Amino acid sequence: MRGVARIRSGRPILPSAILSASASLIAAVMALLSLYILLRGHNEPGGGFIGGLVGAGALVVLGFASGAERARRALRFHPIAIAGAGLVMALISGLPALLVGQPFLTHLWGEIPFEAGALKVGTTYLFDLGVYLVVLGSVAAFHLMFVED
Amino acid sequence: MTQTLDTSSPGAGGVSHATHGWFDAAYLVALVPLAVLGAILSLGPTVLGADSAAEWSMPWVPSLGIALSFRIDGFSFLFGTLIAGIGSLVAIYAAAYMKGDAHRGRFLLLIVLFMGAMLGAIFAADVILLFVFWELTSLLSFLLIGHKASDPAARRAAVQGLMVTVGGGLALMAGLLLMASIAGTTSLPGIIAAGPAIIASPLFVPALLLMLLGAFTKSAQVPFHFWLPGAMSAPTPASAFLHSATMVKLGVYLLIRFDPAFGDEAIWQTLLIGFGGATMLVAAVQALRVEAFKAVLAQTTIAALGTLTLLVGLTGPVAAVATVGFLLSHALYKAALFFAAGNAIHATGVDRLSQMGGLARSLPFTAGAAVIACLSMAGLPPFIGFIAKELLFEAKLDTGTTALIVLAVIVNAVLVAVAAVVALRPFFFGEQRPAQLKHGETVGLAAPPILLACIGAMLGLLPGLASNAFLTDAVSAAAGETIIVDLKLWHGLTPYLGLSVLAVTFGALIAWRWRSLNAALASRRMPTAIHAERLSDRAAAGVLNGGRALTARLQNGSLRKYAWVPLLAFALVIALALVSGGMALPPFDLTERPYLILIVAVLVAGSFVAATARSFLAVLIAIGLVGYALGVLFLKKGAPDLAFTQFAVETVFVVVAAAVLVRMPLQVLEPRVQGERRADAALALSIGVLGTLVALAMMGEPFDPRISDYFREVSLPEAFGRNVVNVVIVDFRALDTLGEIAVVALAALAAFGVMRGLRARRTIEPAAAQKPTAEEAGQ
Repeated sequence: MRGVARIRSGRPILPSAILSASASLIAAVMALLSLYILLRGHNEPGGGFIGGLVGAGALVVLGFASGAERARRALRFHPIAIAGAGLVMALISGLPALLVGQPFLTHLWGEIPFEAGALKVGTTYLFDLGVYLVVLGSVAAFHLMFVED
Repeated sequence: MTQTLDTSSPGAGGVSHATHGWFDAAYLVALVPLAVLGAILSLGPTVLGADSAAEWSMPWVPSLGIALSFRIDGFSFLFGTLIAGIGSLVAIYAAAYMKGDAHRGRFLLLIVLFMGAMLGAIFAADVILLFVFWELTSLLSFLLIGHKASDPAARRAAVQGLMVTVGGGLALMAGLLLMASIAGTTSLPGIIAAGPAIIASPLFVPALLLMLLGAFTKSAQVPFHFWLPGAMSAPTPASAFLHSATMVKLGVYLLIRFDPAFGDEAIWQTLLIGFGGATMLVAAVQALRVEAFKAVLAQTTIAALGTLTLLVGLTGPVAAVATVGFLLSHALYKAALFFAAGNAIHATGVDRLSQMGGLARSLPFTAGAAVIACLSMAGLPPFIGFIAKELLFEAKLDTGTTALIVLAVIVNAVLVAVAAVVALRPFFFGEQRPAQLKHGETVGLAAPPILLACIGAMLGLLPGLASNAFLTDAVSAAAGETIIVDLKLWHGLTPYLGLSVLAVTFGALIAWRWRSLNAALASRRMPTAIHAERLSDRAAAGVLNGGRALTARLQNGSLRKYAWVPLLAFALVIALALVSGGMALPPFDLTERPYLILIVAVLVAGSFVAATARSFLAVLIAIGLVGYALGVLFLKKGAPDLAFTQFAVETVFVVVAAAVLVRMPLQVLEPRVQGERRADAALALSIGVLGTLVALAMMGEPFDPRISDYFREVSLPEAFGRNVVNVVIVDFRALDTLGEIAVVALAALAAFGVMRGLRARRTIEPAAAQKPTAEEAGQ
């Protein structure tokens, strides 16, 4: 397999023209897909874990094609910080229950009325988002570490 | 820290130096023990008075009947006042003594914490609570002895002290638990009240022996006394507080508490008198042998502890009064002497008595305090020490045998001698006078010893004050019966006065010939201490060596060995379960849909390739293949979420692994020999087979569908979700998920830290492929 280049930060690992050209597009689509998977999880197959993995996959594609530096810029925050934020979010999602006298992590639901019907929102989405971010951040942290020198 | 004193201007000494930066914020630490002292004293009216006590309790472990209960009666009131009072003085002294020490703050904190632990121990009314504080004092003593961590002698002494006292603590816990189980309660007053029941029980002797082991190790009785002289490596303020006035008396305190319950038993009396007497004798001889100032004080402390133990063993009201009186007077003069010793050592930079001399001129206050304290130690009127000693002799004449009286006279004579030597030699006489003094007296250094010495004098001159104020209540509380204490300076021409005179004369003789006696004794070896000390050293070394050997065996760096141990254990356990449990295998149904058999065949082929391939790439692809086949299997068996997760995880894994493997040589390096490969193959195969058998056996068991039915029914109406799997993860079992993502985040953080450390340590690659890269500065 030609192309086992010496790794240097910022340079692509696999100098494939097709990948470099299409990486940004692929990554964007994957990121969008990951959000979709996250949001549909409550009623259809999907959820936070899978969404996070797919999101991390987007980052991996970007990292392979354009280099770790580009992937980090896309994340904008430090991956460990993202994981930590996810953990905090998951914790916070359980707190409103305490305010109404329920045990910790009892999820509360409300409705936002729209023209087409009412949208049900609940603290589960916050929790799932937290899970998503933890998985995304952790896998991204691992991968970017290994991709750089 | 060392200020050279200008000896050409005598008397200009330390005080003028001190007025410069007189106020030191560290002195404020003394406010804490002073506040505690105030709090204790304010409880005085409640506590003093016939048979009353202050109590406070809070449930701690209700199911076991253990409570956080504290009780202050007359005796613990006195002891507590002593601890808090001396603690305040120690705090002031330590602030002055350790000026310039970088870790002074830590030391002061430990002193205050220690005082808290000590007070907790004597105020505790529940034996479990008492034990907790007991061990806390041992731990804090360890930290204080090893304060100067760079000194190997200090470290060794700290470890030795810890091992002895904690070992004793373990025995104490066993003894206390035995007694509590017989008495049916963990409350201390309850156990003492159940004394007859405990004595009648067959477990009495073992419980008693265990408890005494704990008390004797803490109070440095022979043969556990060797740790106390070693503890002199601690800074002097710690020695003054812990190893003379308070901590070592904790064992004696325990004995006093249990005396009302067991005091009439012959075994109690014999053991206490025996060990106490032996300690007194050994320590008295040792006190004459050693040369260093603090070592002499340490040996006399051991002798005093032996005396106290012996007194607790004696019966009768006089013995009770003598115990409390001696406890009080010893604490006062010993702490003062330690302060004086600290000043002398600090000033001259040497620690042997023979090397100091004529310090009275530059350390006048210290000399004064030392003289007063020594007079009290020698038991001369009109000091409290005299009254205490008279009581001692009276108690022994009352109930003891002639042997005890002779012992008492001898030991007292030695104390007189030591007092004379310690008071006179370094401060007034002494052949060697150090040419230049490093440090003079400051207010913080001089005030505490003077104050203590004066209190000792005052109590001696006005004994009625003490006995009316608190001693009566203290002794009554300690003895469990009302005893009126009537201390007087002059009792008339009594036999014990005669004994005092005898002891003083004898002591003066010894003091006169101290130099030659000291040299003669020092040259001969002492039998008792050496064996016990060597035993403890060998035990400590043995534990460490054992640990090292075990680590070398188990943590030898070979990945193969690390993997073998758990895998082999796993295989053995499973095999055992299968053989003994007799799990039934379900009927094997080979009429499965054909494409599923195809998928399973792909799985097996992939695993085989992964295990035997020669190239990393092939291995990686095979692993990915196995994962995807598994995902398809999940999908076909009706688990979409599981399949989804499996596909995603497998993809990410293959990609991340590829990123790592890209940098390795493409050929797999084989470090194992043929035999090892065969063994590994056998183990892997057996685990595979056993795992399969267990899985099949589990499937043969009838499946209990209650939980899945419940979730299926409740998921939509209560949790508003149709995807049961996700609802379970995010809602019903959200706490588990929270734990899982915490673990994931933590793993990422840990790996991040490791990678950063590795990257920082990697050496620069050879120049051939080198271009100056803008290496990212970490993350």
